[in-house]
Amino acid sequence: MSSDAGTATAARAPGERLPRLASALGSYVGFVPAVLLLGLCFLVPLGIVVCYSFWDTVDYAVVHDWTLGNYRYFFSVGAYVSTMWATLWVAVLSTVIAIGLAFPFAYWLSRYVPRKIRTPLLVLVIVPFWASYLLRVYSWLTILGEKGVVNRFLHWTGLTSHPLGIFLYDRPAVILVLVYLYFPFGALTLYSSIERFDWNQLRAAMDLGASPLQAILRILVPQIRPGIITAVIFVFIPILGEYLTPQIVGGTGGVMIGNLIVNFFQEAEYTRGAAISLLVAGFIVVLLFVFRKSLSTKEAYGA
Amino acid sequence: MTTVPPLADADSRPDTAGIDLRGVVKQYGTQAALRGLDLQIRDGEFFCLLGPSGCGKTTTLNLIGGFVAPTEGEIWIQGKRVDQLPPHKRPVNTVFQSYALFPHMSVLENVRFGLKMDRVPRDVSSERAAQALGLVGLEEFGSRMPAQLSGGQQQRVAVARALVKRPAVLLLDEPLGALDLKLRQRLQIELAQIHRDVGTTFVYVTHDQEEAMSMADRIAVMNGGRIEQLGTPEEIYRGPVSRFVADFIGDSNFFEATVEGAVAQLPDGSRVACAGGRSGAATLMVRPEAIVLHGGDGSIAGHVVQTSFLGSYIRIAVETPAAGAPVIVALRDGAAVPALGEGVMLSWTAADGVVLEPGPAA
Ligand SMILES: Nc1ncnc2c1ncn2[C@@H]1O[C@H](COP(=O)(O)OP(=O)(O)O)[C@@H](O)[C@H]1O
Ligand SMILES: [Mg+2]
Repeated sequence: MSSDAGTATAARAPGERLPRLASALGSYVGFVPAVLLLGLCFLVPLGIVVCYSFWDTVDYAVVHDWTLGNYRYFFSVGAYVSTMWATLWVAVLSTVIAIGLAFPFAYWLSRYVPRKIRTPLLVLVIVPFWASYLLRVYSWLTILGEKGVVNRFLHWTGLTSHPLGIFLYDRPAVILVLVYLYFPFGALTLYSSIERFDWNQLRAAMDLGASPLQAILRILVPQIRPGIITAVIFVFIPILGEYLTPQIVGGTGGVMIGNLIVNFFQEAEYTRGAAISLLVAGFIVVLLFVFRKSLSTKEAYGA
Repeated sequence: MTTVPPLADADSRPDTAGIDLRGVVKQYGTQAALRGLDLQIRDGEFFCLLGPSGCGKTTTLNLIGGFVAPTEGEIWIQGKRVDQLPPHKRPVNTVFQSYALFPHMSVLENVRFGLKMDRVPRDVSSERAAQALGLVGLEEFGSRMPAQLSGGQQQRVAVARALVKRPAVLLLDEPLGALDLKLRQRLQIELAQIHRDVGTTFVYVTHDQEEAMSMADRIAVMNGGRIEQLGTPEEIYRGPVSRFVADFIGDSNFFEATVEGAVAQLPDGSRVACAGGRSGAATLMVRPEAIVLHGGDGSIAGHVVQTSFLGSYIRIAVETPAAGAPVIVALRDGAAVPALGEGVMLSWTAADGVVLEPGPAA
């Protein structure tokens, strides 16, 4: 990067080659720590994972024979493929619900709540982050479990005579907890982009004959699209890689692709685990590529 | 007042074609924004709501537009009661002060938006939108984005966007407030022209008396949630009903006076001409340009403390025992200008001495 810029400048002004080069390099010095960090902690491990995914495991040891076998194996086992699809729809559904709750919240907060009260409300949204992730997930066991709050309440009202196990250890519980975990990301991202909106535009749209819903969909949503996409990215992508939540509240019925990866690595099947990891990562890269386009379109409205 | 204004008669005629506010009260919590408003706006007229900030102009406009519901009273537009209807069910469109153009749509798409909401076929709506842009002189700008236009152009797009729906009433809330004086004066002329071209009723809110005077057929001067006076610019200027109105519209001189018939006695004992109308303690109001510098019967004496050349006229300030503050006199350019400190005699015709309720300066 830095050498590119240096030669480009030098080509334009050969007489001042050295000072120009120095200042061009100087302006990139700030990137050095980030580049080192990225290289050591991201690119090198990624390279190892890529290699592993094309190597073979023999007797719990990785052997350097190039093969597509890990990928073939994944797609040959029906349970794995269906877990992949289940992961996708759980992630999609959780994202839709989380964003679906976050949007009205952000809308209400920025349109109707006086500025003075907004900060305390936003702090309330962030408060859960003060407790550890594990704690927050485990706390759902005490809500949904057989001795949990829900069952005790039902028993107390006399609606049930014995505790129900249906609240835990399946996909609905996973989705519920994922929505709970990722709602704040959606809410904060959406709020920061809706907050700057000029509400007179909605009134103008309704004055011109739009219904409230039409006004929101045609006037507000297109203008905050980058914010919506960012929110979706912040919610959907981490959910794809979730494994603790499905493990703790999902039981055997709530397995997601993250759990498969963990299992493979725990059983020393490093190469198969690497292949699945890379499939997920590749999918995310493709998604980001698609999103990136809609993130940049018309942001400046031709100004 | 000696001249009977031609429209005075029509005031009492119920006008079902226009806008009719009957006993409208708007309460925000315990605070009353409007306290019993009765107002008839005629079909096709250019009507101004004029008053200081906070007097209830925007509230009145929002009530007509349907953005705010009245606490009490009825609102009729073209013979139909509308106070329970949502904004888009009323034959009314609004030009917002901030323009509220949609920044993600081209100028043409902005103007077409209202027709699209009405499901007007695309070819018809495109043509009507182009027409509306022509009306405001922006036919060449349809493909631009709002951010690429100047403030004045954006304002005209907002007018076109509202007018394209051919509303019976166009509401404008201080639409020129954000523009500089020169541009504002030009757009005032343009808006008046557009009003004549389309024949739509314009209800125009402003706190700028000059703006109201230059464009309106009739003006309602508002104060504290009430209409203080309603009339043509000339009626209001020549015959203000209160010290507030006289003060708000144009320059004026006030004298404490005791009135008897057509004669007013001022604090220094001098007796001057007035229009009468009430007797006893009163405030006498005389416009600067109604005062002439010559002595004789019914004049007051003073001396010049300041003269200012203001281009189209010369303003002199005269200190006199007859009034608490210096009396302002506007002399037409070319008149003989007295020197500073020179003694002068001031007088006016009886019709120009307007008698108002007594009261301290506003
Ligand atoms: N939404 C509101 N809530 C409470 N008070 C309001 C609201 N809108 C206006 N008011 C009050 O009503 C009065 C009239 O306001 P407004 O119609 O906006 O005046 P103007 O447009 O003449 O400046 C003001 O005292 C204002 O504070
Ligand atoms: Mg206002």
